[in-house]
Amino acid sequence: MAAIASAPVQTKKNYLTALKEAISEEMAANGDMVCLGEDIGQLGGAFGVTEGLQDSFGTQRVIDMPIAEAAIIGASVGLALNGKTVMAEMQFIDFITCGFDQIVNMMATYHYRTAGEVNLPVVVRGPAGAYGGGALYHSQMNEAWFCNSPGLRVVCPSTPYDAKGLLKAALRDGNPCIFFEIKELYRRSEIAEILPEDDYIVPLGKAAVRREGTDVTLVSYGQNVYHCLQAATELEKLGVSAEVIDIRSLVPLDEETIFASLAKTNRIIVVNEAPMTCGFAGEIVSRVTTKAFDLLDAPPVRITRLDTPVPWVKPLELFVLPSVERIVQSALQTVRY
Amino acid sequence: MPLQTTTDAAELPSHDQVSDPGIRHFATKRYRDSLTKEDCLEMFRQLYLARYFDVRLIKEKKRGRLRGTLYSSHNQEAILVGSLFGLRSTDWISPIHRDMPAFFLKDAKFQWAELDRMGLSIQQVCSQVWGRVDSPGRARDNWSHIGSKEKRIIHSTSMLAGTIPVAAGVVYADRMNGGDAVVVTYNGEGSTAQGVFHEAVNFAAVHKLPVVTIIENNQWAYGTPVRLGCATPDVADRAKGFGIPGYIADGQDVFDVYDKVMSAVEFARSGQGPSIVECKTFRAYGHGDHDDDRANKYRDPAEIEHGRLRDPIAVCRQSLLDLGYISAEEAEMFIAEGKNASEATNEDFPPEVVDYLNSGIEFALASPQPEAEEGGMWVFKESK
Repeated sequence: MAAIASAPVQTKKNYLTALKEAISEEMAANGDMVCLGEDIGQLGGAFGVTEGLQDSFGTQRVIDMPIAEAAIIGASVGLALNGKTVMAEMQFIDFITCGFDQIVNMMATYHYRTAGEVNLPVVVRGPAGAYGGGALYHSQMNEAWFCNSPGLRVVCPSTPYDAKGLLKAALRDGNPCIFFEIKELYRRSEIAEILPEDDYIVPLGKAAVRREGTDVTLVSYGQNVYHCLQAATELEKLGVSAEVIDIRSLVPLDEETIFASLAKTNRIIVVNEAPMTCGFAGEIVSRVTTKAFDLLDAPPVRITRLDTPVPWVKPLELFVLPSVERIVQSALQTVRY
Repeated sequence: MPLQTTTDAAELPSHDQVSDPGIRHFATKRYRDSLTKEDCLEMFRQLYLARYFDVRLIKEKKRGRLRGTLYSSHNQEAILVGSLFGLRSTDWISPIHRDMPAFFLKDAKFQWAELDRMGLSIQQVCSQVWGRVDSPGRARDNWSHIGSKEKRIIHSTSMLAGTIPVAAGVVYADRMNGGDAVVVTYNGEGSTAQGVFHEAVNFAAVHKLPVVTIIENNQWAYGTPVRLGCATPDVADRAKGFGIPGYIADGQDVFDVYDKVMSAVEFARSGQGPSIVECKTFRAYGHGDHDDDRANKYRDPAEIEHGRLRDPIAVCRQSLLDLGYISAEEAEMFIAEGKNASEATNEDFPPEVVDYLNSGIEFALASPQPEAEEGGMWVFKESK
């Protein structure tokens, strides 16, 4: 009997699996790549992003580090200075503060202060974001600190496809990158998708239009992209056509896609879950008002976390964070302006 | 390796007895005894080199030909010369602000005056001091914040102890590549209070990385005495907590520094792991030259006088006399010790040392400043 050739079953993959694939594929392709972080080896990472990695690549290339974020970042800098490509995991992105000096003063400035002699291919990645009851120190989005430190790429994917493609792009970029993963999306089955069999990257600095619309532009990244998409669905029922842009990478920022959308809608709302003051939403609004003022028919709006920490219990947490309802209400006010 | 400080403790000075003139000789002299006459004379000459660099820059600044803060290594030169002399060109170093001569002493050997030798030239180092385009870092950050990947010098920041984890990463990568390089990092005793110091030394200890951490214990962290920064009798005692050897060297004796550092270096190279080498010394001037006047007030004059009693040039000269490597006449030729920058003259130094600095300074003064728009360059490596 002739064998029946069956096509491989293409299964949908979640955000976490996409990250795992990116790391293991880059490790396999690049013998000079090293991973280090707390509990990433024997345990496979607190969330399992590096599960099986040490079995595949050994203890020398997948290093279980002491609880010492400054040493993790500093060692990453040294490894990269001596020719390695490095993935450093922060167990939670909140803990990155303990390695802050090594990031902003040592790593971010290295290329600059050596007049280009040294470049550091280091991706510091970690689970970020709220809406999960993680309380003050397991919920943060502290991306603004790093956007304000010249020399760092800052990236935040919202889909499995982007998680894999952006992480690969960041690992190959040659510059240090702070890579914000949304832990609430890690295992969210609704967003699982079939990923390309072949190697691919998502270039840094290219936004994605997640939904087209004509009346108002909703700009966001990370988990808030889904709040914007839900709001757009609600708004459609109310007769408002919202365009949703996922910027995906904060530094570099794809201004063109934002301005092109604004040229259609003339109204913009920026949503992020970090606090308002000096947050990245303010940066986008500032660029819009200084570079695309003539396109505006209404004042730009920021919807952000209140200027508070992220509290623990659900009513408190949701109170301070952006919500679908706040986005809908703001959009209605903006289109009526 | 026993988890104890590997010193002959009875002879060693504690915080308040540093630079005691009675302290001369320590136990393990294996590396010291392997030095040839030529080695010893060369190290003596390099002490003049480091001292004259310091003296000359202070003079240049007083003449108004130099801007920026100077962090003097006066009285601490034996630590630099003694620790660098035995290193291989494949080894890495990570100097900080008070170690400026390290940049031209690494790989200096006997050829420091030759332009095409290994290591950074005095022309490059002076260009950095003067903020000129021929600096290895094109004068983008000041003073000691230069380095060279090619020459294996880690670029420091102002954040003290911050290069130790970087150094650990560098040699981790070297080991992955099958290398046998050692990295020697320099820090003051004050830096050992930094969290990153402990994080990094601990990491190096866990992985037995070849990281030698030299602690230049000059008794003063800017305006704070060591007793307010460290509760152990010796800073080297910190090594016990990491399960690694802690050596103590007489920082005024270039040969003792050489001996202790080489013990640590070869221990590291053989795969046995990191060490701390505390070099006892005394900061001659202020933290920086902006602090000289105040440092004379917050430090007891008797302490300063005592701390400078054993000038490393004089200590070395006496050893050379004792060994019969120089004659009494030769010993009288260049008396640079015990003199501040304003008191010392070119006649106090070997002429080749003065010529060497002259060539660096002349080169730097002729080198232009970088173009202004370079200030906006090299934030990112351009993507392929």
